[in-house]
Amino acid sequence: MPLTPIRMRPFLRFAVSLLASLCLGAGAKEAFPEKAITVIVPFAAGGGSDVFVRIFQEAIRKNQLCPFPIVVKNLAGAGGTIGSRAAKEAKPDGHTLLCLHDGIYTAQHYGNADWGPSDFEPLAATGRSGVVVAVSESSPFESLHDLMKEAIRRPYQYVFGTNLGAPNHYSALFLQEGMPGAKFRFTQTGGGAKRLAQLKGGHVDLTGFSVAEYEQFKAAGIRALATMSEEREPSFPNLPTAKEQGVNAVHGLMQFWWAPKGTPEPRLSYLQNLLRQTMETDFVRTRLGNLHMEPFFQVGEPLLETVRSRSANLRGITLEKPTPLPPLPELVLGVVVACFFFVWREGKMQ
Amino acid sequence: MIDLFANPLILGLALLGTVLGITVGAVPGLTGTMLIALSLPLTFSMEPVSGLVLLVGMYVGAVSGGLISATLLRMPGTPAAVMTTLDGYPMAISGRPGRALGLGVGASLFGGLVSWVALWQLSEPMADWSTKLGPFELFSLVILALALLAGVGDASRARGLLAGSLGVLVAMPGMHPATGELRWTFGFTSLNEGFRLIPVLIGMFAIGKILVDLTGKDGLVEKVSGNDSAWIEPGLWKSQLLNLFRSSGLGTLIGVLPGVGANIGSLAAYMAAKRTSDKPEDFGKGSEEGIIASESANNATVGGALIPLIALGVPGSVIGAVLLGALIVHGLQPGPLLFRQNPDAVHAIIGTVLVANLMMYLVMLVCARWIARLSSVSKKILFPLVTACCIWGAYALNGLWFDVGVMLVFGLVGWRMEKAQLPLAAFVIGFVLAPVAEENLCAGLMASGGSYFPLVTRPISLALLITAVSLLVWKKKGSAKSPRKNTP
Repeated sequence: MPLTPIRMRPFLRFAVSLLASLCLGAGAKEAFPEKAITVIVPFAAGGGSDVFVRIFQEAIRKNQLCPFPIVVKNLAGAGGTIGSRAAKEAKPDGHTLLCLHDGIYTAQHYGNADWGPSDFEPLAATGRSGVVVAVSESSPFESLHDLMKEAIRRPYQYVFGTNLGAPNHYSALFLQEGMPGAKFRFTQTGGGAKRLAQLKGGHVDLTGFSVAEYEQFKAAGIRALATMSEEREPSFPNLPTAKEQGVNAVHGLMQFWWAPKGTPEPRLSYLQNLLRQTMETDFVRTRLGNLHMEPFFQVGEPLLETVRSRSANLRGITLEKPTPLPPLPELVLGVVVACFFFVWREGKMQ
Repeated sequence: MIDLFANPLILGLALLGTVLGITVGAVPGLTGTMLIALSLPLTFSMEPVSGLVLLVGMYVGAVSGGLISATLLRMPGTPAAVMTTLDGYPMAISGRPGRALGLGVGASLFGGLVSWVALWQLSEPMADWSTKLGPFELFSLVILALALLAGVGDASRARGLLAGSLGVLVAMPGMHPATGELRWTFGFTSLNEGFRLIPVLIGMFAIGKILVDLTGKDGLVEKVSGNDSAWIEPGLWKSQLLNLFRSSGLGTLIGVLPGVGANIGSLAAYMAAKRTSDKPEDFGKGSEEGIIASESANNATVGGALIPLIALGVPGSVIGAVLLGALIVHGLQPGPLLFRQNPDAVHAIIGTVLVANLMMYLVMLVCARWIARLSSVSKKILFPLVTACCIWGAYALNGLWFDVGVMLVFGLVGWRMEKAQLPLAAFVIGFVLAPVAEENLCAGLMASGGSYFPLVTRPISLALLITAVSLLVWKKKGSAKSPRKNTP
């Protein structure tokens, strides 16, 4: 169902500018920022990315790091591409930013968007989260290695629940690359919570969760087989990595902040500084800790290198032709025509 | 749980949330999702428990408030109240607005209480049960719901199906719900997300209704008047116990399922009531049973939708997803461990469902007489006001004028459909359910490697499909005897 989109710009903008002009007008030393900074979150309110940005928003407010408030604008839909398109086309004056994780690379690679990281000014990478491969408690598999061997012996038999075109889908593709010959069958299951329900109900054989999701769901009858990080996760020291099990696959999720192309340099460095200060607050540290996210922070040349390498990593991945799906719009059109005929005949009979 | 609500602050927050919820629910164009999303940041500075009490109160209030405008103006304030327009409004214009409201409010309370008991006592088994239903079962359930549309309202079977399939057709443009590919956008990027529910809903019902009244022969004459009591005699409730329990049960069960929620809940309960009723011919003309079925079921979906949220950390509705975010922002860990780690939060959610339902009942019953008078306000005043609210609501959703345009266009569509005696409720439900059906069918096919067999080899799916087909094929007795008035 089309989620009733949750947007609040007009109200909040008004309230915020009113408040700002009332009490904070004198606080700004420079011309920037001269109004509230809008952060576009390309996912629905309440999702992982939304929560992540709201933690930053709250930390900035609490510690008075910015004379103007941060406004979160949820522009959900189409795997984040609706929001990222809006951010790309926003005025490059530093008052509109985008916070989007690895989905910005995968949407471009998958073909859902013809724009990507190179259409933005990368501001910062904040926070890193590992990926956990999990099966249901009733699954016969105890290790990722066994499962991958089985996926070579019986290719396309094991159903991997993913969000097609999203980083979660690419975790699975990296697993396949990590053990040549292994093939999964992919199905659309949506966000983390839906994947849990499908795994529990036996509708998919395996799926990937972020470490935070796994921590949240682990008591619901699921079993982790591996983490896809370089090193073992500090929160789960007994969980081996994929590499340790002979599957040469590393994947994780990073949250990136982007500004529209052409945003002036001084403003970029103001924003980078703001994010750095926010990252160092106790509030962000504790909350990210709760979410099992590493308080990773990167700007400047190392950030550009990260962006480049993450784009390059995807280049080796080939997508296979998806399952043929029925042409529903045409079928529905046929049904409508048929119903019209029945109504017309009914009218004639009377 | 009891000592929590002994705190006057908490009680006040529950009342505030409920009243705000009822208000946005009642105003066509404003929805509970909007209210909760707007209030979420305000709760950050509160104690987690206080924030949850406020938000859950809003959720309960918003689902209940929709019945006011559905009954008095035939404009459902929320999608969940679409089925209530069918009987609530005819009863109100026949001079019994108070009674129509009283029935709706009482049934809402009953539905809320039944789902509260389920939430309180049966969370775990019900959440486990809900995971057993996979994409094929959910698809078959939606097909059953679409088949039920054939019998909606006062229209013939063919007209119900035509309206429903037109709704499905209108849901097609935009992003493919499973693969994300664009289709039928004709190059308009504004159409990438398709038509949004709220502009379509308020356009069809509110703007469409205004156009019908303005262009109709009797102009602004048709008017709700009457000052009858909203108190319903206990004898009636007693005779409707079966209906109440069946509708609340269906609402709770369907509310647990992700993404289907209040609309299918009230539709299924309404049609079940109609098929088992002694007086099915009254449905769509002001049937008491119809109001009771729809309103007890839609309130029951609230408790139902919270079940997977509490037991698994899986939201059962859009509002549930926002509540989930609220838990995380407040530093709580939703999921199966929530009960053990944060019993206070769980008790606050469960307790508020009970308290807010009781408050909703008292507030709405006390105000019913006063609210009913709202409808006797001259339409020369009311219509411009409603139009303004609708335009504001459609715009405020995303800050896009496109949505306002969509709303106005669907106002014309609603007006035209009304003249052709096509039931609007069927259209809206078809529109809401189409993406759910498509997403689940496609997800199922991807998992089965393109095979449709699971639709008939999985027992629950098969049973749902057989029911759907038999509803369509089986000629209802007496249906041939109720010919439609001829369309001019």
